[in-house]
Amino acid sequence: MRKTLARPPALAAVLCLALVAAGCGGGGSSSGTTTGTSGAAASGGTLSVAIGSEPPSLDPGLATDTTSAYVVENINTPMIYLGPSPDLKPEPGLAASWDVKGPAVTLHLRNDVKWTDGTPVTANDVVWSWLRTISPQLGADYAYQFYGIKGAQEYNACKPSAANQQCDTLKNKVAITAPDKSTVKIELTSAQPWFMQQLSHTSFVPVNKASVDKWGEKWTEPGHIVTDGPFNLTQWKHDASLTLVKNPDWYDASRVKLDKVDLKIITEGATAEQAFAAGDVDVNDTGWPPADTARLKSQDTYHQFPSLGIYYYGFNVKNITDVNQRKAMALAIDRTAITQHITQKGEVPATAVSPEGIPGAKTIDQDKFLSTTADLTEAQKYMAKVPNPVKDITLVFNNAPGHKEIAIAIQSNWKKLGLNVTLKQQDWPQFLQFLGPPPNPSVSVFRNGWIADFPDDINFLSVFECKSGNNSTNWCNPKFDDLLKQATATPDTAKRYELYRQAEALLTGPNGDMPIAPIYWYTFTDQQAPNVHGYTANPMYTTDLTKVSIG
Amino acid sequence: MLKFVVRRVLWTIPIILLVIFMTFWMMRAIKGSPFRKSERAVPPAVLANLNRKFGLNKPWYVQYKRYVVDVAKADLGPSLVLRNQSVNDIVKEHFPVSAELGGLAMLLSMLVGIPLGIISALRVNTITDYTAQFFSNLGFAIPSFFTATLLIYFFAAKWRFFPTNGWDTAGSKVLPVIALSLFPLTYFVRLVRGQMLETLQQDYVRTAKAKGLRWRRIVVVHVLRNSLIPALTAAGPILGGLVTGSFIIENIFAIPGIGRYYVTSVQGRDYSTVMGITVLLSVLIIVANMFVDIMYGILDPRTREARS
Repeated sequence: MRKTLARPPALAAVLCLALVAAGCGGGGSSSGTTTGTSGAAASGGTLSVAIGSEPPSLDPGLATDTTSAYVVENINTPMIYLGPSPDLKPEPGLAASWDVKGPAVTLHLRNDVKWTDGTPVTANDVVWSWLRTISPQLGADYAYQFYGIKGAQEYNACKPSAANQQCDTLKNKVAITAPDKSTVKIELTSAQPWFMQQLSHTSFVPVNKASVDKWGEKWTEPGHIVTDGPFNLTQWKHDASLTLVKNPDWYDASRVKLDKVDLKIITEGATAEQAFAAGDVDVNDTGWPPADTARLKSQDTYHQFPSLGIYYYGFNVKNITDVNQRKAMALAIDRTAITQHITQKGEVPATAVSPEGIPGAKTIDQDKFLSTTADLTEAQKYMAKVPNPVKDITLVFNNAPGHKEIAIAIQSNWKKLGLNVTLKQQDWPQFLQFLGPPPNPSVSVFRNGWIADFPDDINFLSVFECKSGNNSTNWCNPKFDDLLKQATATPDTAKRYELYRQAEALLTGPNGDMPIAPIYWYTFTDQQAPNVHGYTANPMYTTDLTKVSIG
Repeated sequence: MLKFVVRRVLWTIPIILLVIFMTFWMMRAIKGSPFRKSERAVPPAVLANLNRKFGLNKPWYVQYKRYVVDVAKADLGPSLVLRNQSVNDIVKEHFPVSAELGGLAMLLSMLVGIPLGIISALRVNTITDYTAQFFSNLGFAIPSFFTATLLIYFFAAKWRFFPTNGWDTAGSKVLPVIALSLFPLTYFVRLVRGQMLETLQQDYVRTAKAKGLRWRRIVVVHVLRNSLIPALTAAGPILGGLVTGSFIIENIFAIPGIGRYYVTSVQGRDYSTVMGITVLLSVLIIVANMFVDIMYGILDPRTREARS
C-alpha cells in the first residue's frame, strides 16, 4: 500500500485545534515513504477535496490555522519551500537565494514572480507586508513569528494613538529593509539558525498592498484578492466551498498539473466519509468518526504520514513535587496500548519530547529513560522512593473525541501505582484558561500537545522554558533555559543538536526532572481515491498542490 | 387589532435589550477568550493589540452601550474569529440558507402532516390510521441525525440518487429537507389527529349531523376550522426552531446555514457573533409568535377580544 502524507481532521484544524482532536495524531515514522506513486502523472483535471472547516482568514498576516494555511500556501508563493523529509531544508521560493552571516540575513528574490494584477512582486512588497503583520494595528496573532527580528517585538508592543508618535519611531527601527527591488535585508536578534526554515511559515507570505489598501478587510474575497501563487482563488462560498484555478502566469506554471481544485467544506467526519465513498470528493482531509478508523485503515485509500507533533501529559510540579513520583507515573503509562488500541492511526509511542522526525532526533533523543510500553516494575521502584506520594490526582483534559479514552487508560495504568485519579473534562477555551500558565492549583496532571511551526527542535524544547507562555507545568530550570539560549546562537548544526540533547535529557532523560510524560508522536491521515497522485503533506501539514495530479 | 399589533411590536424593544444584556453577561461569565484559539499561548503584547482592536479593553458598560448603539444601526460588529468577516456578512450569507431549509421543511411537514392527521382521525382505528400512527410514532422517536445518516447512506452513497452533501442544486436539497421535516411532520399528524377526534365529539358536530348537513361540509366548515388552531399555535415556534435550530442537519449535510454558528461561536467565544445571532433568533421567535397571535385572532375572534 502506498503511504502518503495526509492532513488532520480539519474540524480540529480550523482553530488550530489539531491537538485537541484525538484523531490528529502525529509523529513520525520517518521510514514511511512520502510521495509519489508509479501512476502516470496526467495533466489537467479537477481535484475535489473535503476540508474540515471554513478557513478563518486567507490573509497571510492573520491566518493561524492549518486550513487557512493550506489555501494561502497554494495561492501564493511562499518565501521558501521546505525540502523533503527528514531534513526539510529550505528550498527556493520567492527567495531565489540567500546569504546568512550570523544574525544578518539577505534574501535575493526572484524577479519573475508577478501578482495576479500583472505587477511584479518586489522586495518593497515583502517589507511592507511584514511590517503590516508586526504592526499593533493589525492585531495579528502570529506577529510573534517576527519577534526574532530586531525591533519587531518592540514595535508590536507599542500602543498606537494619534498623539503617540512612538509607534512610528519603533516601526522605523524594525530591521527589515529593501536596499533594491529584489533584495531584502534582515537583522535578527541572534543567529537563529532556523530562520530560513521559519520563512516557510504562512506569516511571511507577502500580500498585495494595492488590494489591501483598496478593499480593507474584504481584500481576501474572490474578485478582490491579488496573489502570486500557482493557483488563483476564483470562488469562495463561505462555509460551503472554495475554488482554486491554475494560474497560467505563475513563474513555474509548467509544473502545475491540475487545472482546478474544488475545496468542499464538510465539517462532519461521517459526511466526509460518505462523500468520499460516493465519489463526491477525491480526497477526504476532513477525517472520519474515530470508530471507523480500524475499518478504513485496511483500505487502499487510507493514507498516513509522520508529522512533527507530540501528545503529552504535563505534571504540575508544584502539586506533584517529587521527581521520583513523576518518573514512576511516566514509566507506568502503556504508550503502545494507547496507540494500537485507542488512537489507531499509526502514531508512534513517544519516549521523549523531540519527535522522531525532527532533524537531529537521533542525537537529541539518545538519553532514553522511558520505554514504549509500561514498565511497572521499574515504576514501582521509583514510587517506593517517594516518602510522601500524592495519592489523589486530578487529571484535566479537553472534551474533544478520544482524550477521555486515553485518560481512562492512563487512569488504570496509574491505579497500579496506588493512585486515585479523578478525571476532569472541560471545553477547549475553558481548558486553556485553566492551564494558565500558571495552571489552576487544583490541576495535578493535564493533557496537551504541540505541533511544529518550522522544523527545528527549538520549537518543541522552548515550550518548557521558564517564562514560556506554553509551559503549564510550573517547572523552571535555568540550566535548561541556558542551553536553549546557547542554541539560539549556535549555527553549527551538530553542536546545536548536542545542546538540544542535553536539554531533552533535562526533561525526559534518566536524570531528568520529568515535568511531562510524553505519550505519542502524531501522524496524519486521510483518504485518497486511487487516481490521485502526489497528494502529500509535509510534517507541518503543508500540502503542495503543484505536485498533485489526477487521472 | 392594530393597537394590539403596535403594542406587540413595541414590547420587542425591551425584550431585545434584555436579551443583549443577558447574552453579554453570560458570554463573559464563562471562562475562555476568543483570542486563545489553540494550545499556542498568545504573547501579552499581541493580546493587548487584539483587545484594543476589538474594543475589549474598554469597561463593560462602554462595550455594552457601543454594542446597543451599533445594533440599533443594524451593525452587529466584526467577528472576532473569522477575521475578514463581519457578523452582518455572516447573517447575510448564511441566514437565507437556513431560512430556505427551515421554510421548505416547514412546508413539507404541514403539507403532509396536516392531511395525514385529518385522514387518520376520519378513519380512526382502521388500517390507514394504524399505518399513519405507526410511522408518525417512528418519526417522532428517531432523532434527525440518525434519519439523516440513513438517508445519506442509502439515497446518496449507495443508490446515488442525490448528492451526499451541499446546498446548491435542487437535488442536494431533497434529503436535508426530508430529514429536517420528519419530526415536525409527525408532530403535526399527532396534533391534528388528536384535535380532530376531540372536535368530532363536540355537541355542535352532533347537532350538525342531526340537522342533516352533509358530512363533507361538517368536516370542512365545523371540524377543520376548530381543529387547526393548535397546529397553528405550534407552527410559530416550530418554524423558529426549524430556521435556527437545524444545526445538526446543516452539519451532517454540510449546508452553509447559520445554525452551526450558534454552536461554533459559543465554542470559539466569538462574543459578537454569539450576540448577533442571539438577537436575530429572539427577533425571529418574537415575530413568529406575533404572527401566530394574529392568526389566532383571525381564526378565533374570542381570543382577540380577550386580549384587547
